[in-house]
Amino acid sequence: MNTEFYKPEYYRNREDSWISFNERVLSEARDKNIPLFERLKFLSITASNLDEFFMIRVASLKDMVHAGYTKKDIAGMTAQAQIDLILKRVHNMVDVQYSTYERSLVPMLKQNGLEILAAHEDLTEEQKKYVDRYFDENVYPVLTPMAMDSSRPFPLIRNKTLNIGALISKKGSNEEPQFATVQVPSVLSRIVEIPSGKDNVRTVIHLEQIIERNIGKLFLNYDVVCAHPYRIMRNADLTIEEDEAADLLKEIQKQLKKRQWGEVIRLEVEEGMEKQLLKILKKEFDIKNDAVFLINGPLDLTFLMKVYGIDGFEKYKEKKYIPQPVPALMGTEDIFEAIRKQDILLHHPYMTFDPVVNFVKQAAKDPDVLAIKQTLYRVSGNSPIIAALAQAAENGKQVSVLVELKARFDEENNIVWAKMLEKAGCHVIYGLLGLKTHSKITLVVRREADGIRRYVHLGTGNYNDSTAKLYTDCGLLTCAEPIGEDATAVFNMLSGYSEPKNWNKLSLAPLWLRERFTELIQRETEHARNGGEAHIIAKMNSLCDRDIIALLYEASVAGVKIELIVRGICCLKTGILGVSENITVHSIVGNFLEHARIFYFRNNGMEEYYMGSADWMPRNLDKRVEILFPVEDEKLKTELGHILQIQLDDNVKSHILQPDGSYVKVNRRGRKRLCAQEYFCQEAVQRAKVPKDPGKDRVFIPEESAGDE
Amino acid sequence: MAVTLFSAINVGSYEVEMKIFQYVTRKEFREIDHVRYRIELGKDTYTTGKIGVAKIEELCKVLNDFVKIMNGYKVKAYRACATSAVREAENHLLIVEYVEHMTGIHIEILDNAEQRFLDYKSIAFGEKDFYKIIQKGTAIVEVGGGSVQVCLFDNDKLVTTQNIRIGNLRIREKVADFSRETLHTEEMVEELINNDLESFKKMYLKDRNIKYLIITGDYILELLKRNQVTASEFQKMYEGIIYKHPEEIAKEYGIPSESASLILPSVTIYKRIIEELEAEAIYLPGTSLSDGIAYDYAQKMRYIKPEHQFNDDIIAAARIIAKRYQGNKGHIHNLENLALPIFDKMKKISGLGERERLLLQIAVILHGCGKYINLSDAAQCSYSIIMATEIIGLSTAERRIIANVVKYNTVEFTLEDVLEQQLRQEDYLVIVKLVAILRVANALDRSHKQKFEQVRLTLKDAQLEIVVDTSEDITLEKGLFPPKADYFEEVFHIRPLIRKKRNL
Repeated sequence: MNTEFYKPEYYRNREDSWISFNERVLSEARDKNIPLFERLKFLSITASNLDEFFMIRVASLKDMVHAGYTKKDIAGMTAQAQIDLILKRVHNMVDVQYSTYERSLVPMLKQNGLEILAAHEDLTEEQKKYVDRYFDENVYPVLTPMAMDSSRPFPLIRNKTLNIGALISKKGSNEEPQFATVQVPSVLSRIVEIPSGKDNVRTVIHLEQIIERNIGKLFLNYDVVCAHPYRIMRNADLTIEEDEAADLLKEIQKQLKKRQWGEVIRLEVEEGMEKQLLKILKKEFDIKNDAVFLINGPLDLTFLMKVYGIDGFEKYKEKKYIPQPVPALMGTEDIFEAIRKQDILLHHPYMTFDPVVNFVKQAAKDPDVLAIKQTLYRVSGNSPIIAALAQAAENGKQVSVLVELKARFDEENNIVWAKMLEKAGCHVIYGLLGLKTHSKITLVVRREADGIRRYVHLGTGNYNDSTAKLYTDCGLLTCAEPIGEDATAVFNMLSGYSEPKNWNKLSLAPLWLRERFTELIQRETEHARNGGEAHIIAKMNSLCDRDIIALLYEASVAGVKIELIVRGICCLKTGILGVSENITVHSIVGNFLEHARIFYFRNNGMEEYYMGSADWMPRNLDKRVEILFPVEDEKLKTELGHILQIQLDDNVKSHILQPDGSYVKVNRRGRKRLCAQEYFCQEAVQRAKVPKDPGKDRVFIPEESAGDE
Repeated sequence: MAVTLFSAINVGSYEVEMKIFQYVTRKEFREIDHVRYRIELGKDTYTTGKIGVAKIEELCKVLNDFVKIMNGYKVKAYRACATSAVREAENHLLIVEYVEHMTGIHIEILDNAEQRFLDYKSIAFGEKDFYKIIQKGTAIVEVGGGSVQVCLFDNDKLVTTQNIRIGNLRIREKVADFSRETLHTEEMVEELINNDLESFKKMYLKDRNIKYLIITGDYILELLKRNQVTASEFQKMYEGIIYKHPEEIAKEYGIPSESASLILPSVTIYKRIIEELEAEAIYLPGTSLSDGIAYDYAQKMRYIKPEHQFNDDIIAAARIIAKRYQGNKGHIHNLENLALPIFDKMKKISGLGERERLLLQIAVILHGCGKYINLSDAAQCSYSIIMATEIIGLSTAERRIIANVVKYNTVEFTLEDVLEQQLRQEDYLVIVKLVAILRVANALDRSHKQKFEQVRLTLKDAQLEIVVDTSEDITLEKGLFPPKADYFEEVFHIRPLIRKKRNL
């Protein structure tokens, strides 16, 4: 590989790029063309994104700084330089978040009948009575105020919780005020609806305001000098020493407890917090000024998701889209029969996720099914898939499930399911040592009249029926034998057996996938050099693998047309003279979270389409079990081509990466408005209406005597 | 349509493997699952002579998993075979018993000749050009953990098969001790191989022209990446990897790194054999013992019809041995024409089947080989030769039957002999019956002059009438016949009689 493409200036720092992504989400919250409540949702998402970003990314950069790790990233930045850049950009972003909230969203909400009271001081007398009573009856019993003095150390403040810090002094004493704190209970709703006293207006107030107003009741013999909300973010990057962890399950449970104690990496306080109080917090959390965020508004904007959920404002929300039936499965009860007829492409959430659930459900009941094998990464609460798997095991099927415990933040959730499945008699594998199993594959082995037949579902998204309504993902249902054989081999490998001697169709990370992508990209480069047709379209969530980017640069130089649809992080830079002039990067941020990974290679006219679970990120290619699978049915290839093209043509939700690193919305220049997500919604509705096979009328054909011949 | 599933388990020197096959009536016989687990049983055997407790426990765990997988498919029939690692382990009887107790899997320890025959079957089924290839001089070379097997074919016939005890794992373990003292392990490996190879060449190769080589064994296909290469392409691959570290090779060729240490010994063995045999083209069918086990089963169950008569290979191999000991070709031929029809006529009464017929035929072919050593003690010498000569496709137990049949063709068979050899009852009965037939047949050609071109047999009223069509004097035969006939009658309760058909 030519090292000339590895120059740091050709790469963008991934955190920097991530912040730009969150800015694109934030821009949705600022977009006046979007229904008001949807904007709340986007703002809430930017806040929860930032939280996770701090807990994982900033935390690991901090770890690097502490460890004295000086190696630079692909863009030539040290960990400290990255932290500096991040804090600078995040401060700006938070400013934009709150100005959006305070200056545009709150006034608009009020205009449209929802009043969010920012301060308890603004309550009317009647409301004051109401909140005080609410406090006495609902809040007070669950509060645990804690004070700090010479005999009581600074208490443990839990990660991500909202707290009220106060300075209190003994009544009638001249002593220095003491620090006291109380957690805003997470069991109660963050917003409390109170009587508005007006018609057509509803009023809510933040829980912390109610507590603040009544804080005196918590410290009866004291005067409360001041009280302000604050919130911390701790280092929560879960690092597990797997070599030492004999039992992964136990280790993760242990780590979950430890997460509460991680280093504090961000402190958010109400703007105008008493200086002395802030000083105490800074000292106790051992945090520097640049990681302290003075917030002009309510802390933790994720409460806006709750606001979004308030009934009665449906006209300010996007009409809820109902996932449509899959045309290839309409009019048939038997999913296996349908798969035998043809490979089936699923496009969620435009099409319903039900077939995937039914695939497992039907398999669980089908007397001819011998075995069901599945990888589970993030599963929804009360997942019907889990229930079906358990039922299958009870029905005597051989059920093997790989439950990935290492899925970030979901560990607690996963452990519960895993145990339940084990109880039902499933063979449960708790992930692989040192690798996260990110692939999404289900195998159903069925004994049929003409032999064993294997049905496989391969997907780009998790087996999670709730997120499948929000994430755009693709899936393939097939009973093609080469894929069935490979699927069996995948599960054999996951069960600890040796790798197969060869793969028919699938490419797996971490062993073969990087090489496969390298070959595919280089093949286009070769075609371009030989004057053939060369074109790459790749859609994914993130692109930050140095080797892949260098290969794309090389391909671009050779003349390959490269169109990337990358929702989030993109460390590739476009428009570098002599390096990346043939590359464009689109990013679609819409109501649904773009999540599918689709790859197209022109291959000199012998077009190939692939889908998979992997992004072009080092962690996906080297540290995870991922599967890339080809889509070979001509009809489905056309369909995938159509999906990619519509996304590239989007001129509503699509942002285009500029050579200076900024993202700019497509200039429509008088062209017809095309929003890919809306388009797919409408298309799915249309297709679900059309009778599957108009030629097949419901006419009975009488059997006739074969007599006089 | 009926679907039958069969599972073939191979407990090898460094890997335990299970393949599940499905047979759909009149449609297909094919593999549907393949599970491999790496466990170096051979490492224990080749260094300590025994397989350790830890390894056996690990083996049981894997086999229990295999049972689960089989149950998952509702597999009814299976065959589990072990090769040299278990065979050569001192504690193999204990292992087999323990494993069966713990897992329910009965492991059958294959003799080398049986194992190679199954390998050979797998190639014959797996390599589509097999029948074309073996028209010319062809060698099948299989490098295993414990040994190398070389089978030579010419003109569609198996010419010879030899086992050379230089397997990759065995060599690796041998070289390991002093590999720190040299930089050129490949030279040491070559030296280890050369000696054995030299003798093989002298004895069996002579001036045979070997055009093709079929090679099997793990990972060689990954290294060459194609099913057919030329000798120079092989050499190129060899030179490309020989100085590399095993880890590098593993990475470059996508071979599991735990197997990488076996690659260098393997390719060195292949390379030396290719050089010695001067083969032009090399085929890699990529099959393994499990395939052979499955094909053998399928053939027995008549799921598949082989294009090739495998029994002919066994017979051909026996004829080569007879030739080596200068057996009387005419006499053998005549004796076959006498013994086999008698066998066939007696089938209902004897209760013997196709396999025993084959054993009888081989006994006939080899019945005089001891004379090459010592004319007056031919019986014992024949016995010893047969017991010491591997015949592909025959187990040691089967060879013992043949050796005994040959021996007691001419000497008296007593109960002491049975006790001395600790013959199993069923083997004893086969021996007795075959001896009775062989003695009668042999008596008919006592003069070795092939006086009877044609015999007609009639079985009637406790009498086997042998009508011979000859104009020659048969006084000698008739005179020597009664004691043989007595023995025959004792065994079958049928009296053989010779009647001469007069030429008109």
